[in-house]
Amino acid sequence: MDNNEFEKLLLSVQKPGRYSGGEINSVIKDKTAVDVRFAFCFPDIYEIGMSHLGMKILYSQFNSRDDIWCERVFAPWVDLEALMRERGIPLFALESRDPVKDFDIIGFTLQYEMSYTNMLNMLDLAGVPPRSKDRTDFTPLVVAGGPCVCNPEPIAEFVDIFFLGEGEEVDLELIDLYKKFKKSGGSKAEFLREAAKIEGVYVPSLYETEYNQDGTLKSVTAQNGAPATVKKRIIKDLDKLYYPEKFVVPFIDIVHDRVVQEIFRGCIRGCRFCQAGYIYRPVREKSVDTVNRQAKCLCENTGYDEISLSSLSTSDYREIEPLLNKLLEWTTEKRVSLSLPSLRIDNFSDELLEKIKHIRKSGLTFAPEAGTQRLRDVINKNVTEEEILRTCKTAFAGGYTAVKLYFMLGLPTETDEDLKGIADLGQKIVDLYYALPERPKGKSVSVSISVSTFVPKPFTPFQFEPQITVDEIRRRQEYLKSQITTKKISLSYHDSATGFLEGVLARGDRRLCDVVEAAYKKGCRFDSWTEHFDLEKWLEAFEDCKIDPAFYANRTRDFEEVLPWDHLDYTVSKDFFIEENKKAKSAKTSPNCREKCSACGAACYGEGVCFEKR
Amino acid sequence: MKFVSHLDMNRFMSRLVSRAGIPVWYTEGFNRHFYMNFAVPLSLGFEGLYEVMDFKLTDDDYSLSECLERMNKVCPPDIEFFKIGEPKESMKEIAFAEYRLRFEALSDEFAERLTGFLSQKSVICEKTGKKGRVKEIDIIPKIKSFSFDGNELTLILNAGNEDTLNPNLVLTAFYAQTAAPPVFCTVTRTMLFNKKLKPFE
Ligand code: SF4
Repeated sequence: MDNNEFEKLLLSVQKPGRYSGGEINSVIKDKTAVDVRFAFCFPDIYEIGMSHLGMKILYSQFNSRDDIWCERVFAPWVDLEALMRERGIPLFALESRDPVKDFDIIGFTLQYEMSYTNMLNMLDLAGVPPRSKDRTDFTPLVVAGGPCVCNPEPIAEFVDIFFLGEGEEVDLELIDLYKKFKKSGGSKAEFLREAAKIEGVYVPSLYETEYNQDGTLKSVTAQNGAPATVKKRIIKDLDKLYYPEKFVVPFIDIVHDRVVQEIFRGCIRGCRFCQAGYIYRPVREKSVDTVNRQAKCLCENTGYDEISLSSLSTSDYREIEPLLNKLLEWTTEKRVSLSLPSLRIDNFSDELLEKIKHIRKSGLTFAPEAGTQRLRDVINKNVTEEEILRTCKTAFAGGYTAVKLYFMLGLPTETDEDLKGIADLGQKIVDLYYALPERPKGKSVSVSISVSTFVPKPFTPFQFEPQITVDEIRRRQEYLKSQITTKKISLSYHDSATGFLEGVLARGDRRLCDVVEAAYKKGCRFDSWTEHFDLEKWLEAFEDCKIDPAFYANRTRDFEEVLPWDHLDYTVSKDFFIEENKKAKSAKTSPNCREKCSACGAACYGEGVCFEKR
Repeated sequence: MKFVSHLDMNRFMSRLVSRAGIPVWYTEGFNRHFYMNFAVPLSLGFEGLYEVMDFKLTDDDYSLSECLERMNKVCPPDIEFFKIGEPKESMKEIAFAEYRLRFEALSDEFAERLTGFLSQKSVICEKTGKKGRVKEIDIIPKIKSFSFDGNELTLILNAGNEDTLNPNLVLTAFYAQTAAPPVFCTVTRTMLFNKKLKPFE
């Protein structure tokens, strides 16, 4: 595309800054001087993709090698897509503006199921056949990573290679193999067979699936020498791991527009609904020095004036207090602010509390997830009502007037009693406020309750559980609404239909590939955007393919059933999940990894929290 | 850079001076931020060859040439700071801006119609103000001069906070009045002038 044509195109769309490229720290190379061109695709808009830490890490890491040029590609918003289709402009990468189909490797990061149709749409816009079997040439290869890849079966027929677990090492091993094959001129089939030997590489076309009469999976059999199970990769020593010195700094405002500094991977908690809490095990921390050095370097190279510490639960970083002290040594002077998501400050020293007082201007938020202690025990969520009320009391006395609470609806064993518990907790917080003599004078309190729909996910103790039906979700939402009697409490919840589809795709098998393709052909895209989500079209797609979505979403699975992801080894064992499921049903909690190891299986890497002294 | 809106430009500059590590002055108070001001904000989609902004340094003795060097070092390739110095004139002195409109293809007929349009005594059109309020203005008195050269039209228009005319408005009015088929053009602001039509410094 020449410059003029490109300019014309961008001047006709909203937010041209999404597509213009040329940002600070974006990487331009001589394409004739590299061996591998990698198109890193995020199947959503620029503002979301650019906020994603994993993409920043891999983009910098790939480009740190002279033989690779990695470029970024995002889903064009509907206005640009229409123009591209009308003018026959293929999907292009931001850096070179070259067509994506000319790249060696097209890589997607799959962060949520609702981005699957965007992936197909991007391939289509690129002029690349969506099905792996229809791409007979060696290039471009289509690869994918990210959390959704722990059950990639609903998209297994579109992707040549999946990366299981953390990508920093395995991605480069694959690229090296690719280089070797490109030189020697091997075929795609040979390459895929060879690639399957790399630990963490899953080549779905090498696995044969069979089904039982009742529609459940009978077996998944590895062919052509592929391993029977594929084990996810992790990075053992995060202090030695590559971390970017620079982030691309967007011109336009994005969702998380700041330095994001990772402090550890994994989570010790084991909340039973939370997939991230299991698939990233075991917990591995970066040292205070590493975190401090990396954060400082990023600030200098980006000019950002805000750092957010990133992990699944900031408070579980063992040396949070020394870390904050160290960061504050230079951030205050440089006018860099810290944001500390999900930080509990209960046991901080007064001195540190004083120092961070002015930086904690963000709101007061809690995620009890369930309305009663019984249900919180079922899900192993270690938050008590007393704790919440105690923290609110201190915060109200300190001038706070707004509280945010996060809950899930439709959790296993949930009854109306539990839903009422949500409303009651909100009411208790309101009452507490008005009973407090030292509350802010003349101001009223606001409690906002946000309720998402529970979606059972693979690799959690609830992977066997049925999801409640859309009608039942709506009934429970209405019931909860009826239990809230004061205007001081505001209630918001997620769209019930979105949760349903997410549930189907999360635990789907390979037969859903047809449905995903049919849905995208009917025009489904940006399914995670309420204004674009169209359940009707999806239901038509299911019908056309003669597949009942309820089979996937609303059915209880036996412990013995072969699950579509059983041949993928995230090292936490199925037996562990079965035990945890049983404990959940009797409302028994499990200790976190630091209290006591529950021998989940993740210790096999020989690293991390499993080997800490308790 | 031409796809960066004015608001985004402020954020961009703030990060740029921070990367450059120069001692700039920040506002006092609760929400402290880098303070700077563009003389005449450039519209989204325009290129600018002579843009002016001001900001304060906290250190009076800091070398301005070092400042310039550092800022250029941390800049994306399509922006360059070419001069930095003590202000000679107040921003208020800016009165005109010169724009170069390069049309993709310019037929004689189109050029004639455009000339005819620009030579009228008065053209009233609607302008949307800051608060979304629409008012009627006459654009002709705000056009200081115009000239053609091949595919290019050069316009000198009123500029400055009080009284700015955007070349897009001229084009919109032209197309609305003549119903001529639109021709794609790129817009470059080539100069800012003071009241005496001398380059603003
Ligand atoms: S093996 Fe034990 S310590 Fe390690 S992740 Fe599993 S439960 Fe936690």
